[in-house]
Amino acid sequence: MTVTATTGSQQAVTQDPPELDVKDASRRPHPWRWIGAGVVLVLLAMLVNMLITNENFEWDVVFAWLTAESIMKGLGVTLLLTVIAMVIGIVLGVLLAVCRLSANPLLSSTANAYIWFFRGTPTLVQLIFFYNLSALMPEISLGIPFGPEFVVFETNTLITPMLAAILGLGLNEGAYMAEIVRGGLLSVDHGQREAGAAIGMTDRRIMRRIVLPQAMRFIVPPTGNQVISMVKATALVSVIALADLLYTVQAIYNRTFETIPMLIVACVWYLIITSILYVVQSRIENHYSRGDRHQRTSFWDFLRIRPKGRPTPPAVTEGVTA
Amino acid sequence: MTSATTLDRSAGAAGSGPVLDARGVHKSFGHLEVLQGIDLQIAKGETVVILGPSGSGKSTFLRCINLLETLDAGRIQVGGRDVGYEVRKGRLHELAPAELARRRADIGMVFQHFNLFPHLNVLQNIIEGPVGVRGQNRAEAIRTAQSLLERVGLSGREKSYPRQLSGGQQQRVAIARALAMQPQLMLFDEPTSALDPELVGEVLATMRDLANEGLTMAVVTHEISFAREAADRVVFMDKGVIVEQGPPAQVLDNPQHERTKAFLARFL
Repeated sequence: MTVTATTGSQQAVTQDPPELDVKDASRRPHPWRWIGAGVVLVLLAMLVNMLITNENFEWDVVFAWLTAESIMKGLGVTLLLTVIAMVIGIVLGVLLAVCRLSANPLLSSTANAYIWFFRGTPTLVQLIFFYNLSALMPEISLGIPFGPEFVVFETNTLITPMLAAILGLGLNEGAYMAEIVRGGLLSVDHGQREAGAAIGMTDRRIMRRIVLPQAMRFIVPPTGNQVISMVKATALVSVIALADLLYTVQAIYNRTFETIPMLIVACVWYLIITSILYVVQSRIENHYSRGDRHQRTSFWDFLRIRPKGRPTPPAVTEGVTA
Repeated sequence: MTSATTLDRSAGAAGSGPVLDARGVHKSFGHLEVLQGIDLQIAKGETVVILGPSGSGKSTFLRCINLLETLDAGRIQVGGRDVGYEVRKGRLHELAPAELARRRADIGMVFQHFNLFPHLNVLQNIIEGPVGVRGQNRAEAIRTAQSLLERVGLSGREKSYPRQLSGGQQQRVAIARALAMQPQLMLFDEPTSALDPELVGEVLATMRDLANEGLTMAVVTHEISFAREAADRVVFMDKGVIVEQGPPAQVLDNPQHERTKAFLARFL
């Protein structure tokens, strides 16, 4: 790679040799990346060491309880609650979103107030509130508003921990889903509705055939996130004595004092469920976001280690003009 | 000329009267009176080009015809029937949404931004109306759609999605979609304004063919050359009123009104 002398008539624009190419450039060192990687490795080693050597984890207890029947029952309650609360949340969310976008100011402001209340107060407080509903309304009746009552229920017997949990989580989720659905509906260009109307479609048909299918791209991925959040939010119901996964392990360690291993049992199951959901979720997200994908650099490339002496691509010889 | 079947229908309901009959149309947005009494009749088979500066109300008027905008006063009839109303005991009553939708289906519209359904392919875009709204037999609707695609020069693109097509191709699909409903009247709302200059020609050529085939058309556009070649009548609108109208040669080459002269001067 020596500099070839330029002939008298042909003057080089720069003094660089003509074969210089960025692919051969020496790479700038990044010492901080090495230091950072080193620190993290040491911390990881410490963590693994503690997991293995610290006897208080009592891994044998963890494995003994992991698939115990009572734990499975608690897991079942957690899953059931997640599904029911999400179904209520989605149905309610669609209704609230439609109300919020409605031209009727009474409907839209009522939906607004609902969302304001349920998003503005802690889920935990709402759960305890529903659990103690009998203190507010000792009896619940079905009948004509302000008129005769047909059936009267005693609130204390009607509102079981399960129903309080379903109400608390479902009504709360409805407020969040409403915002997601509304965002999705608003993302569809108004011209789409006009085009549907122009070929004689009714509003319902436009919603079903044109708007909703397009809004789904914006509704489905965040709904997946909500499901994952809901799995974890169900742990809140342990405060109202519903025997979900967390409440079950609490009941066991209150008896055996194996607090840490039992909490690890719960964590393992939560991680298993959420990991499965994450996989499903990212599949769905990939489905809805074709194109514009980020290319990730490998760890070795990040540390700027590159195999030396990589074969150079054939030099471009054709089409070069002087 | 190829598919006379799609044009037959315009004869039906219209009878001998004008296809479009608009009288005293008023429309305001807030305090702004966009339409200040528009009277316009369009005969069967006539192509009317509406010209005018931006904000003159020409697009609003077009959108009032198929009731994408409601009018504040006046009356618009298409094929002898009010679009959004029916007469009962000597008074106009608002139509039920389903009936309004049925009447809208008789009026085709082509939008500035095409408004094709992006989640449906070309064929699905075209047959959505005939099959979903009119309940036409699917196989028959597909046959019609294919002949329409041939007519707008897009045979073989049935399976393409709108985003895979150029703007000009999308607009031609949008024209085919509107034609698939066999409308009595076609409305074109600045159909070439959103297109790259080199794509304008193909859309205008398609529209010229339709005009020559005897489709009844109302076209809002800034393409003076299209008005000159394809229009039976040119209407010039400004500030919510029709300033003057007549054959293209008269309005474009020998405008009577100062405002028309000033507008046309910009295109010379």
